Amino acid sequence: LDVAKKKKRKRRWGDDSERTIIPGMPTSIPSNMTERQTKIYIKTLEVEEIGRKLRTGDLGIAPLPEDRSPSPEPIYNHEGKRMNTRDYRMKKKLEEQRHALIQELQEINPDYKPPMDYKAPSSRMQD
Amino acid sequence: VNMMASTVPTTVLCLMNMVSPDELADDEEYEEICDDVRDECSKYGRVLSLHIPRPIEGADIHGLGKIFVEFSSVTDCASAGTALAGRKFASRVVVTSYYDPDRYSQRDFAGVEGTE
Repeated sequence: LDVAKKKKRKRRWGDDSERTIIPGMPTSIPSNMTERQTKIYIKTLEVEEIGRKLRTGDLGIAPLPEDRSPSPEPIYNHEGKRMNTRDYRMKKKLEEQRHALIQELQEINPDYKPPMDYKAPSSRMQD
Repeated sequence: VNMMASTVPTTVLCLMNMVSPDELADDEEYEEICDDVRDECSKYGRVLSLHIPRPIEGADIHGLGKIFVEFSSVTDCASAGTALAGRKFASRVVVTSYYDPDRYSQRDFAGVEGTE
C-alpha cells in the first residue's frame, strides 16, 4: 500500500478534447433539483456514458503507460492467448459498474428502465 | 418553481460526480483532490474558497460527493461552469450547477427540499 501511495500523483482532470456529449443529457443542471432527482440524473448519465464507452470501445485506458494501474499476472488460454488483457479488464470493470448503477437506480426508482443494450450478468456469484 | 432562475449563475459553482466517499476519507487523496480542483478552477477566475464535504462514519453528511467552489465574481464562476461541465475527472463526467451563496457561506449543504 505504501508503494502505491508513493507513486507519482495521478492525473484526474481529462483534457478538453475528452469532453463527452450525451444527447438529451446536459451536464449543467438546474440548482433546484432535489437530492433524489440529482442522484437519479447523475447515475443515469453514468449508465449512458458507460454504455457509450462499451459500444465505441473508447474504454478510457490512459494513453500513457505510467498513468495506468499495474497489470495483474497474465492468464493464458490453452492456445497461449492472453485472456486478461487491459481491454478485457476494462470492459469487465465497466460492465460491473454499470450493473451496480442500474441496481441502485432500480432501487431508487422502480420505474427506471435500463438501456436496451444492457443485459444483467447471468452467472454472478451470490453476495 | 422557476426553471430559468435555477440555471442562472451565482458566485458558487457546484461540481458533481467527481469524487467518492472512499477517496475523500483518505487524507492524502483529499488534499490532492482539493489542489486539483482549485488549480483547474483558477484558470477560469479567482477562487475565493473551496469546500468538499467529507464522510464521517455513521453520520449523514449533507452534500457528500459534491464540490463547492466560491469565485470572486458571477462572471468567473459562469466561465468555470461552462468550461468544466462535461469534462472528465477520474474518468467520470463532471456535472455542474450553481449554488446559493448565502447557503454556502453558512455551510448549509442540505440541498433542495421541495416537491417532485
